[in-house]
Amino acid sequence: MKRTQFINLDLMRKIKPKFLLRPIALGVTAALLSACGNDQEVKIVSSVDDCVSSTSLDLEQCEIAYKNALAEAEKTGPKYQTINACESEFGAGQCVQSQNQSIFMPLMAGFMINELLFNRDRRSYGGYYNPVYRYYRPYSPYHNTMMMADGTSLGKYGKKSYNVSKSATKQKPMVSRTVSRGGFGSVASAKSNWGGGSKSKGWGG
Amino acid sequence: MLRLPINERDGWQTKAEEFGFKFHTMYGDQYWDESAYYQFSLKQIEQDLEAPTEEIHKMCLAVVDKVINDDALMTKFCIPESHWDFIRQSWLNGDPSLYSRLDFAYSGTGPAKLYENNADTPTSVYETGFWQWLWLQDNVDNNTLNKRSDQFNSLQEKLVNRFADIQFLTPDRQLHFACCKGTDEDRGTVQYLEDCANAAGITTKFVYIEDIGRDADGNFTDLDNQVISWMFKLYPWEFMMQEEFGEFLGTNNIRWIEPPWKSILSNKALLPMLWKLFPDHPNLLPAFFEDELDQAQGIDRLVKKPIFSREGANISFLTNKNGTFVAEENSQQSSSSDGPYGEEGYIYQAAHMLPQFGQNHTLIGSWLVDDQAAGISMREDSGPITQDMSRFIPHIIL
Repeated sequence: MKRTQFINLDLMRKIKPKFLLRPIALGVTAALLSACGNDQEVKIVSSVDDCVSSTSLDLEQCEIAYKNALAEAEKTGPKYQTINACESEFGAGQCVQSQNQSIFMPLMAGFMINELLFNRDRRSYGGYYNPVYRYYRPYSPYHNTMMMADGTSLGKYGKKSYNVSKSATKQKPMVSRTVSRGGFGSVASAKSNWGGGSKSKGWGG
Repeated sequence: MLRLPINERDGWQTKAEEFGFKFHTMYGDQYWDESAYYQFSLKQIEQDLEAPTEEIHKMCLAVVDKVINDDALMTKFCIPESHWDFIRQSWLNGDPSLYSRLDFAYSGTGPAKLYENNADTPTSVYETGFWQWLWLQDNVDNNTLNKRSDQFNSLQEKLVNRFADIQFLTPDRQLHFACCKGTDEDRGTVQYLEDCANAAGITTKFVYIEDIGRDADGNFTDLDNQVISWMFKLYPWEFMMQEEFGEFLGTNNIRWIEPPWKSILSNKALLPMLWKLFPDHPNLLPAFFEDELDQAQGIDRLVKKPIFSREGANISFLTNKNGTFVAEENSQQSSSSDGPYGEEGYIYQAAHMLPQFGQNHTLIGSWLVDDQAAGISMREDSGPITQDMSRFIPHIIL
């Protein structure tokens, strides 16, 4: 056969049928995916000391990991209007006012380390420093579970290691301050004005 | 190789709508045309198109390797000196390529002749990889075409696999896709490639070329101010290099698809270089730089092509009159084409007309994914020069 063997037409459709039973199909996919090795084993450490004693990272590495996780927590951690709202989910004494705004955030309960992402020769860590919180709302099914900033539950507090998806320690996209826009596209725009707007489909060939 | 009439599928326009194929008709003219198809034998496909496509690709890479190491040739290719390092680095790093399309004149017998290599921003990939595939599937399913009909078209499968390979080389980055505003065709092409990347498990995002920004360090950003670290751009390298943000190319940490070294292949100066390195190759047409026309004396008629040009724009014919090449009268609109290219100079290629099937002049686009031949697309025009509005016709192998 000289042609593509199979194309999943459902994925190619831009207008989706309205009553497709998607959630069931999705659930199955998720289960299959995690069976295909998309998970990784991580440790959650509560402090720099804990990091040094429970992982193979040295003091300097653990300090870097801690600082980065703190900075990440400040940026992406759960945010609440009142301290009560925050404490109702994370427990009494577990929330603080954020540094520069009138919002409240839970204290980071720990941070995630995947030792496999630690490169011994280059003394660098190839992962993302993910802050972790301990969810504490009484009677919630998630009571006393470890949770990422986006609310993903990782498992009960106090385990030696946790299975998380590989994306959890992936580098997050970097955001910057844009100082100018529109520096590309001028040649195409000049050429398309040529001849009073010729019939043309695009700039590919 | 035959051109055969066939009934159009009932309601295919509705189906096109459903699958997001918006540019099947443009400016009131039909672009996708399924009132006919071409039929090839397997031997024609494998010997005359598939094998030469992969061989020419290897020859093209040999040209890149030569040009990249030679300042005089870089100048001949009209590549701005400020970007030589940028291009050289991408070649030395072995930056991976995704796809290309070689355009051939082929009548069913004899060697296919290379017209040009669309190595940087090839389009009609959706029509080829998906839409004509679906056309065959439907016509076999409804018993219009023989059950044994096949198609030279593994494009979509190979694109998905190639995206997965490239991701392995570029782990943990989000892939931004970009094209210009105001063109349904380019937007559709980019959406299709984005779908293929998603199928390979890559996380993607879209930004228009005109909306790209930069930060104080020269990083490129999208409309959410997110720093772009990996980008597919359906926009020619030679445009980007001469635009305002061109000075930041190579200073920021971006992986590009296509990689910068592709600017040497999508350049018409490739054609005289191929002829120099592989003279008399059966799939090549004699081609010359402007200062080499004395070598073209044995040739009756030449095609003059701008070094940078897309989809048949600004092409004209010259006739050899007692040793001098004279521009042919442009009275016949069909023998010369208008367009916005040519400032940068021209190359000359021996005229070899497209085969005619009835009133139609037929061009074959032969696709490569990395270095593997991946299928063909057929384009027809009522004139001898295939242009961006030329009709797309499906094909089968039987």
